[in-house]
Amino acid sequence: MTDPGAAPEPTHAPLHTVSRGRARWHRGLMRPVLQRRADVVPAAQAVAFVIGIAVALIAGALLLLAAGNDPAQVYGRMVDSSLGGINSISRTLLRATPLALAGLAVAVAGSMGLWNIGAEGQMMAGATVAAGFAMSAGDLPGPLLIVLMLIAGAVGGVVLMVGPALARAYLGVSEIITTLMLVEVSIRIVEWLETGPWKDPESQGFALIEPLPDQASLPGLFGRTHVGALFAVALLVAFWLAVSRTAWGYELRMAGSSPATARYAGISLQRKVLAALLLSGALAGLAGAIELTGTATRLDPGLSNGYGFAGIIVAALALMRPSGVAAVAFVFGAVQVGGQSIQTLGVTSSIATILQAMILIGALVAAVLLNYRVRWVRPVGHPPEEAAPPAGPALDRTPPSDGSSNPEASGV
Amino acid sequence: MSEAAVVGLLVATVQFATLVYLAGLGELIAERSGVLNLGVEGMMAMGAVSGFMMALATDRPWIGFAFAALVGMAVAGVHALVSVVMGAGQVVSGLAITIGGLGFAAFIGQDAVRERADAVFTDLGIAGLADIRWVGPILFNQPPVVYLAGLLGIAAWFVLNRTRLGLALRAVGESASTTDSVGHSVTLLRSGAVLIGGAFAGAAGAFLSLYMAAGWTEGLIAGRGWIAVALVIFGAWRPGRLAAGSLLFGFTLALQPRVQTFDLSIFGFEINTISPALLGILPFLLTVVVLIAISFRARHRPSPAPAALTLPYRREER
Repeated sequence: MTDPGAAPEPTHAPLHTVSRGRARWHRGLMRPVLQRRADVVPAAQAVAFVIGIAVALIAGALLLLAAGNDPAQVYGRMVDSSLGGINSISRTLLRATPLALAGLAVAVAGSMGLWNIGAEGQMMAGATVAAGFAMSAGDLPGPLLIVLMLIAGAVGGVVLMVGPALARAYLGVSEIITTLMLVEVSIRIVEWLETGPWKDPESQGFALIEPLPDQASLPGLFGRTHVGALFAVALLVAFWLAVSRTAWGYELRMAGSSPATARYAGISLQRKVLAALLLSGALAGLAGAIELTGTATRLDPGLSNGYGFAGIIVAALALMRPSGVAAVAFVFGAVQVGGQSIQTLGVTSSIATILQAMILIGALVAAVLLNYRVRWVRPVGHPPEEAAPPAGPALDRTPPSDGSSNPEASGV
Repeated sequence: MSEAAVVGLLVATVQFATLVYLAGLGELIAERSGVLNLGVEGMMAMGAVSGFMMALATDRPWIGFAFAALVGMAVAGVHALVSVVMGAGQVVSGLAITIGGLGFAAFIGQDAVRERADAVFTDLGIAGLADIRWVGPILFNQPPVVYLAGLLGIAAWFVLNRTRLGLALRAVGESASTTDSVGHSVTLLRSGAVLIGGAFAGAAGAFLSLYMAAGWTEGLIAGRGWIAVALVIFGAWRPGRLAAGSLLFGFTLALQPRVQTFDLSIFGFEINTISPALLGILPFLLTVVVLIAISFRARHRPSPAPAALTLPYRREER
């Protein structure tokens, strides 16, 4: 594909002469060209992730210095509060759990090249349906109630995903936009429930939803963690088995990477799209229900707390792979716990948000640079006054293509 | 319902429409070049906080406003570098900018939170016209940014539809390889569109902090960036329809804080029983409906969506 010795496409040449006048403004400028490396860097994405972390830490340190803080002290406190000791690790796991579950939800759709940008909303929907169930069936015994709440949560996530999934499968409507729009919808529905139908009669002037029954809370593990962390691990393993060890998973990946091949193999793309998106919605809804029963005493509009959006970053950094999701979720959990802890030093927790975004940006750039070589070339093929193209090999003249088989093709 | 209440609602409608129109116009320009920018929310936050602080320092709202546009452009530069030059995913890059931009704005704005701005935009009060009943306050007594947004909309329409640059920009959003093959630089066109879009988003944020809210708080943007993303689809990627859509979305935004004070009944239905939260859903649901309607129609005529939207382009790959 990137063979520099490839002969120029003869039929391609006349096109250059069509608009030579207009193209003159950038003619002759050296420009960078990204060329895919022949030698693959081993574990490139893991290396990129580590580089991303390093870039984020350096940028964060500069920011802290500029604001008059001591980076060593701030980072020390962050590491100590999130990783220094069993209690600290339990706090990190508490946050890593929803991140991993949301990341898993995004990765399920992502392994087929689909983007579930609305995990945040599906988490809210799942928590809402679970809370509604708990309020109406509050006298069930604890374990049964919790199991039914988790199922209700998955149903809630599916309910919010049905529209986008059907629209994507049968009309080709971009799931990126529809799932994103429904985030705002579901959060506002909870705000409405809070001020009206589900308002706690004992909350007086405050807008609060009725508290959950006492028995509707997940049992703890150690420290601050709850069994939701085990669910997350089990689901990640199940996802790994399903995607990499079953025919279903193979078909799913093929449908994403090469729709034409999948169609020739007799795979129904529409059913695969439906399955991937609905499963993604169900997992995000489950994540919301686990977050509700694991950490909250009542439903509120801030419950999803950005985990759904962060889950997209987690899944993207993990390249949609379950082992990566676990690792990235743990790191992000630690960063978030660390961000909370530095408030006692007078530093805002927003540094944690900045670090997470910087890790992603840094890793995205690093991944490109690890997989591609940057070459500076002078544009050729725009001869000053000749109508005919010059003879000889022209490095830059391979006919370009849009990459229309790209999995990110949206079909808005 | 009093006349003052209706006029107040419509005045606010125009202002909210301006806010989402500015940001939406920037998003439209980027999307027409084939780049989805989900970072609008973060760019608006960065524009809001930096514009506010610059206006505090210089005592001049226009300097703050211009600075906000520059900051929005700088933030957009990150998106351009990652998603256009590097060709990494537009979706994740945009989201990272929203998340990081909100965090960064909160970080640099922590001391500005309690400040009250003295240097804010004032209403223009066009002589002779501002005093007209009904029309005067709504159309002729608005801050200058409202009129600027209108001019920018016309300029954007003209450039997109009547110039060679606009043609190249729209072409690169339909098929990057075709545009490349006639000698235009895909990277320059797309990066330029993303940068302009960032400037618009930053300016919109500054309109919020230098006029509508006249201050900075952490949750100031409150999802208006997502409304801008929705608006572009609702307006079918055209500046004119975008303006109509922004008036409608602006109306729902203006109505939200007011609806429960309105004493009006239509066919026995009391307006003030509508929940503000449910009203806030409307723009997003309408956008989903429009998106589905577009794809239904697309069976018979071409979709208004740029065909290469979200597709990165690397010439050396196919």
